[in-house]
Amino acid sequence: MDKNRQGATASYVVLVVCVVLWMVLPAAVHRFTQEAFAEFQAPALHLAGKGRDLARYWELKSRDKEEILAASRDLARANAALELQLRRYDDVRKENLRLREMLRYNPPGDFLTVVARVAVRDSTTWWQRIVIRKGSDDGVRAGCPVIFSDRVVGKVAVAHHTTSEVDLITSPSFRCTAFLEGDEANRIVLVTGSPGRGLAAGRAKVSAIPQDYFHPVGSAPKVVTTGLGGIYPAGLVLGNLDGAERTSQDGNFKEAGLSPTRDLFSLQEVTVLVPKYPSAGELLLEDQARKRLDELR
Amino acid sequence: MFWTWFILLLATLPCLWLADLASDALASHSLVLFVSGAAIVAPCRRLKRWQAVLFATGVGFLFEARRPIPAGTLAFLLAGMSIFLTSNRLLLRNTPLVLRGALICNTLACTAWFTSAALRSGSWVANEPGHFLQQLLLQVSFAALLALVVFIPLALIQDATMDRAGIPPALDSP
Repeated sequence: MDKNRQGATASYVVLVVCVVLWMVLPAAVHRFTQEAFAEFQAPALHLAGKGRDLARYWELKSRDKEEILAASRDLARANAALELQLRRYDDVRKENLRLREMLRYNPPGDFLTVVARVAVRDSTTWWQRIVIRKGSDDGVRAGCPVIFSDRVVGKVAVAHHTTSEVDLITSPSFRCTAFLEGDEANRIVLVTGSPGRGLAAGRAKVSAIPQDYFHPVGSAPKVVTTGLGGIYPAGLVLGNLDGAERTSQDGNFKEAGLSPTRDLFSLQEVTVLVPKYPSAGELLLEDQARKRLDELR
Repeated sequence: MFWTWFILLLATLPCLWLADLASDALASHSLVLFVSGAAIVAPCRRLKRWQAVLFATGVGFLFEARRPIPAGTLAFLLAGMSIFLTSNRLLLRNTPLVLRGALICNTLACTAWFTSAALRSGSWVANEPGHFLQQLLLQVSFAALLALVVFIPLALIQDATMDRAGIPPALDSP
């Protein structure tokens, strides 16, 4: 019994030493450990996502022939309309390029699009996340915006090799500047995620709304990205103002809820916008890393 | 056998992943199906102390890997719990006591990760302690309920794995 007690005491001492060591160790070690365990679980996430795809496939396969014929007829019509639209966009793009050349205008950073399937969703009061089946091997980087159609879904929080974690716009860690529809002065407001209450999903909040802003009557005004932060391109829809605006605690501004235009947890597929060129922040970090390397040398 | 803890971890993984998949279904309700705390109890009855600690640390890191929880919080807490349980096996001498152990471990571990994630996420805890407590109670009660429901099948899988690995059965009065 004494031996057992001694062993237990020794184990506690070792544990305390390990905890202290863990706290002292550089963040890179923590990151490496986390990354190793995340990569270990990645195949299971892929399997879960593919299993869901397979279930959907069999569900579609079991459908009635008439139903499939009707769907394909509708798709053909939609295709024809989209082809026309594409041609029109092509003309607009060419004109845009020509005008830019004439003005010697420096185009804003372009994005590559990476389409990714959603593997799993994970949500609690403190985070609202989805895991997608594309990672750094596909060019996805932390901080890349994630969209669905022209709507913002969130931002890549962590990019692993074959999977990435996306913070949704309702996640408390989400921050973004935005413009409000109907505000002709284009004053900047702030969109942040906020923790959910009870069993409700997390919500987003629009703050710093000017006191003299009154939204157009009849419809909930859209909240769109400004493009100023360098992360999100301008003009993407974050959602609609939800409910009445109330005066903020400091009394200088108003704030309101933001309802995403889609149920973020029902998304099956999203698009990651990967900047073609590194952002200013990334360049700065690269410079710092290079300097540190030089110092070490 | 040196690798018993790892084999046991591999045997437990599908259950943890199933819990993750179920969490996926509950995502719109902001609830996580947390069973990592309950998963360390049955191995603590039979594994050697160092093996139980390694197993518990692994389970903790697996949960933390994809979530914004301060690194090591849950892993070291579960390691501490496993040291306590392997040193006091009398507390796990029969099924009701083991079930009680699973309930307490899951609840404590859930409280730890929820609080640490809250502290990491910002000043909301200090600003609105009432809401924090409400959310904490909700998540912890759910974890406690889950520990009661999931523990028996989980322990059966783990015991079968330990039987195969040749670990001697737990004694009624250790």
